[in-house]
Amino acid sequence: MEELFEKIAHCVEFGKINLASPYPPDMKGQVGADELTKQAIDAGAEPDDVLKKGLVVGMEKIGIKFRDNKVFVPQVLMSAKAMSTAMEHLKPFFESGAVKRKGVFVIGTVAGDLHDIGKNLVSMMVKGSGFEVVDLGTDVNSQKFIEAVKQHPGCFVGLSALLTTTMVNMEKIVTDIKTAIPGTKVLIGGAPVSEDFKEKIHADFYSRDPQGAVDFLKRSVA
Amino acid sequence: MTKTQLFNQLCEGTFPGDRVLFRPILMHFAARFGGKTYGAFASDHKTLVDCNLKAMEHFDLDMVGLISDPYRETSAFGAKVTFPAEAVPICKEIIVNSLEDVKNLKNPDVYKSDRTLDRIKGAELFQKKLKGDVPVIGWIEGPLAEACDLAGISNMLMYLMTDPDFCNLLMDKCVKTAKDFAKAQIEAGCQVIGIGDAICSQIDALTYDTYVKDRHHEIINYIHECGGKVKLHICGNITHLLPSIAEYNVDILDLDYGVDMEEAFEIVGPEVIRCGNISPILVEERKAQEIFDASSLLIEREKGRKFILSAGCEITVITKHENLMAMRKASIF
Repeated sequence: MEELFEKIAHCVEFGKINLASPYPPDMKGQVGADELTKQAIDAGAEPDDVLKKGLVVGMEKIGIKFRDNKVFVPQVLMSAKAMSTAMEHLKPFFESGAVKRKGVFVIGTVAGDLHDIGKNLVSMMVKGSGFEVVDLGTDVNSQKFIEAVKQHPGCFVGLSALLTTTMVNMEKIVTDIKTAIPGTKVLIGGAPVSEDFKEKIHADFYSRDPQGAVDFLKRSVA
Repeated sequence: MTKTQLFNQLCEGTFPGDRVLFRPILMHFAARFGGKTYGAFASDHKTLVDCNLKAMEHFDLDMVGLISDPYRETSAFGAKVTFPAEAVPICKEIIVNSLEDVKNLKNPDVYKSDRTLDRIKGAELFQKKLKGDVPVIGWIEGPLAEACDLAGISNMLMYLMTDPDFCNLLMDKCVKTAKDFAKAQIEAGCQVIGIGDAICSQIDALTYDTYVKDRHHEIINYIHECGGKVKLHICGNITHLLPSIAEYNVDILDLDYGVDMEEAFEIVGPEVIRCGNISPILVEERKAQEIFDASSLLIEREKGRKFILSAGCEITVITKHENLMAMRKASIF
């Protein structure tokens, strides 16, 4: 079974979704994360092992490569697609409670900003590390974030902004969330955001790449 | 000497003794400086030109531009664009969802679409007011950026990995419209055409070489044939793409603040005018003296090289006027 987990991890790392997918070219005609995950479950593998020893390992590897500029956004999107396709086979086990999430992560692009690529990358990576992700979409105001936090007590919150013109909205949202639900941990990210800016607006964590956010969340629930 | 003459001299490798040319990217900032909303700035060429001229006069800018938002061509292709008062124009509609959609996509007549025609009229109005004394930078979307606008960013980036037919056909159509739009702006009076292809910083060099490089080259050659010069703007860190960019003959290369100017010089060579690259966040947040010092240091390092002082990307709307002025002061001797 360990060999199968390794193959699943390999497919996720290299973005091999399924047999039909032509990507990556050197794996064309081979089965992907989709078929291998089903095969593992059918063979009696523990769903939690499929997740932790297969899918999560693959996403961690691609996350580190992305952090180190060894791969770029398209490759990460393919890995995330492989991961999410495989996760469909685990869905019943999440719903029954047989597989437990590490926590809940609420994420959205801040009010005034419609860009979703950075948010989606973080969302996929966090999901791939075993958290439940509540994606509020783009152009999200304080009220929507607060409502989501109330629905998921103890969750973490991620704020994304691509534009220098909209990152200023992060400050209000961080303040509003922490006023409404004190103790909520808020992570921020996006092209114009920095560690200095995080300090200025009293957010809890800043990362320049999705893997940093994943590492922070894992440390926080360890 | 006019600013156009100064720019032409820079292109030929003669550096003015009294200044380094200064051209920050201004959109929302210019709108507010001119007392208008961003929505009005992006939807009405008279407002855009008026605001840019006010900013040019106040900050003694060496060039003016027609850049406003990414959706001029997208609108011409048929997508609906709306204009919030104080935010970037919005285009939520993805009009290309399949290869069939790409095949059915018609290249627009840039003179018949409201938004592309508005920019062309902006070029004419600039010329009428400036009489050729100041270089006017027109603007087009690069082929990958436009393809992302039409098909959605995440979708398009995944198509790059899985569906070459889709990508090639869509980007060929984007190239055709880019060329049509560039030609129209040059004929309306633009000396320079900016190509905005922001998303390219997010793809690897091999994918860039496979899908984008030759298309950039084709557009650049065409603009040159039409008598214009080319300014390539890719937001973000493009260090990994510089060897490819060095292979074609771009005139001005914008460099965002993540790029090392020295390394870029080594790679693209002395003939390319590098434009950059103070962090716009620094320009927004720090004191004027710090911005003056950072600009002065960069200018000193660029002495004797083809260089235009700018921020790495757009100047933010809330930037203090004195901060932008600090860059101008640092670039006048």
